[in-house]
Amino acid sequence: MMDGCPGSKMQDLRKKEETKGDESGKRESQLGQWPIQLYLVSPMAPYYKKADVLLSADCVAYTVGDFHKDYLKGKSIAIACPKLDEGQDEYVEKIKSLIDDAKINTLTVMTMQVPCCAGLVAIARRALESAKRKIPIKSIVVSLHGGILSEDWV
Amino acid sequence: MEKYLNKGIKDLISEFPKIGDILNEYNIGCVPCNVGSCLLKDIIQIHNLSSEDEEELMARITGAIYPDRKIKISKIKRKARLESKEVKYSPPLKRLVDEHILIKKWIRLIPTVIKNIDIESESGRRLIIDGMEFIKYYADGFHHAKEEDILFEYTDKNLDIIKAILQDHETARGHVRAIFERLKTKDKESIIDHLNGYKDLLTEHIKKEDEILYPWIDRNLSTKQVGELFSKFDEAEKKIDKEVVEKCKRFVVEAEQRIEKIKQEVLK
Repeated sequence: MMDGCPGSKMQDLRKKEETKGDESGKRESQLGQWPIQLYLVSPMAPYYKKADVLLSADCVAYTVGDFHKDYLKGKSIAIACPKLDEGQDEYVEKIKSLIDDAKINTLTVMTMQVPCCAGLVAIARRALESAKRKIPIKSIVVSLHGGILSEDWV
Repeated sequence: MEKYLNKGIKDLISEFPKIGDILNEYNIGCVPCNVGSCLLKDIIQIHNLSSEDEEELMARITGAIYPDRKIKISKIKRKARLESKEVKYSPPLKRLVDEHILIKKWIRLIPTVIKNIDIESESGRRLIIDGMEFIKYYADGFHHAKEEDILFEYTDKNLDIIKAILQDHETARGHVRAIFERLKTKDKESIIDHLNGYKDLLTEHIKKEDEILYPWIDRNLSTKQVGELFSKFDEAEKKIDKEVVEKCKRFVVEAEQRIEKIKQEVLK
């Protein structure tokens, strides 16, 4: 039986029991820039220069509980949706410019486990292949429950 | 037990020989190591055993030291544990592993070089000289230099595993120097001894780096450090004459054919 697209298939992930753990206190945002949407960002912005950049699929930050603390801290960010965003060739050019012009140190691509999300890694790969410089790219895949399924250098 | 965790493995094995056998069972090859100054606690951490294996190994080592007493061992502190045994290197470490592939190709040819050694003819001497130049410029100048000048800066150079690796590099350089010297005096037996010495040393050295040292370094590097290493390797490679590196690569490809040619000449 066909289940339809896993990227848009409805799933009820509500927890049956209340989450345990210390929820007291406030956590500071680790965001150090604006804008963040890949279409809007400028690769020439000072916060990208020689930075470790996190390229995150839109849904990731809503899924990973400790996104700011564990993944955003110390990095500059760009977000995108490889399924819904238009003009993805422009995304390739922007990432290429981050590599060649901003001379970023590393690129970490965080995506959801749904197949369409892998498109973001493909965009990053295309950009790296066309760039003059080479940098390490890491791919982190997040489950729908917010866990880390894999973390590999591409 | 704490004092034994902080003791060099060679001393520990000579005091409790059973520990050597136990380590062998877990594929921890400390017994033949000619340095053996790594501390037991570092060995346990560096080999990244699964929780179950580590617990079992420590219980057996404790049993070997204190056969009549029951002692509870606390876990060795470590930064990260790799549950999978599959090694996935970061891009800069992968580059070093790939360089090992070329060095291993030459090492695999050394027994054939020895079997057909000819230090009288120009072509026979040239093969050995080119082989030593490959080691000097590629294995040492291109590969070991990146480790010593860049990679090891990201580790604690006082750790015994790093000291052992650096000692290996020095011993390898000694073999190469000796071969160049013995070529002048045409001391065939000594050349064979040093070629064998180099082959055995580097075979073990590369295995140690690929399977133990590099995965351990990788587990302790942050993403930022991986990026830094990658670009520092790029910078270092830019300073090295590309033609020399290409010549080294060509040497390994052509060496097999040259050995065959020398073989035919000897038969004539």
